[in-house]
Amino acid sequence: MIAAAGKLDHVSEDAIRQLVDAFYVKVRVDPELAPIFARAIPGDWQPHLTRMYAFWSSLMLATGRYKGNPVAKHLVIPGMKPELFARWLALFDATCGELFDHATSEAFRIKAERIAESLRLALFYRPDRPWPPEPTP
Amino acid sequence: MTFVVTDNCIKCKYMDCVEVCPVDCFYEGENMLVIHPDECIDCGVCEPECPADAISADTEPGLESWLKLNAEYASVWPNIAIKREAPADAKAFDGVANKLKQYFSPNPGQGD
Repeated sequence: MIAAAGKLDHVSEDAIRQLVDAFYVKVRVDPELAPIFARAIPGDWQPHLTRMYAFWSSLMLATGRYKGNPVAKHLVIPGMKPELFARWLALFDATCGELFDHATSEAFRIKAERIAESLRLALFYRPDRPWPPEPTP
Repeated sequence: MTFVVTDNCIKCKYMDCVEVCPVDCFYEGENMLVIHPDECIDCGVCEPECPADAISADTEPGLESWLKLNAEYASVWPNIAIKREAPADAKAFDGVANKLKQYFSPNPGQGD
């Protein structure tokens, strides 16, 4: 269904595909994120996009379509920095806002923020260092 | 941040959670499941799936001892990602108070 403002008012597999495709178009031209992603995904992007359709389907529709270990995947990405998560979230939220009505967009944002913080902690939290971490030079 | 499995899972062990978990972070004891706090990505998908309402975010107050129990047994029990039949008497134990003291088993479950 399309809401009055022409935005999607609920989550579906098709909506997730639109979101993921539009989001990664932004990522791939973003000055901060593009170089990191280009190194992590040097070749064909479709397998990553397909995995992300499954990931968000699992999160938003509880389909169990994604099974993986995102912490391990992120640990081996060269050039990861704690502050990149904020940039990722800003782009993701902007994309959600373009596609979805407010409530649906919020549902995505809340999930994304929780998972981003969880990954950020897994990658960068050390008991002997300050948290949140100082920006890296 | 993580989600934790709490008292009402004991002897209910419905296992709906393991099917929806995107990161397979559930571990199986003889009569309860736990979440590995270092593997959980805090997505919260499992919480509403639990028919026994036994899963909570660790940000809720009073869950420190459950977080400790989840962490401790997740490191020794086998991983479970495929749902099986719940115990035959699961329904009878759903909602019974203070199951930890009376019924908790530290023995591992069968896993996948």
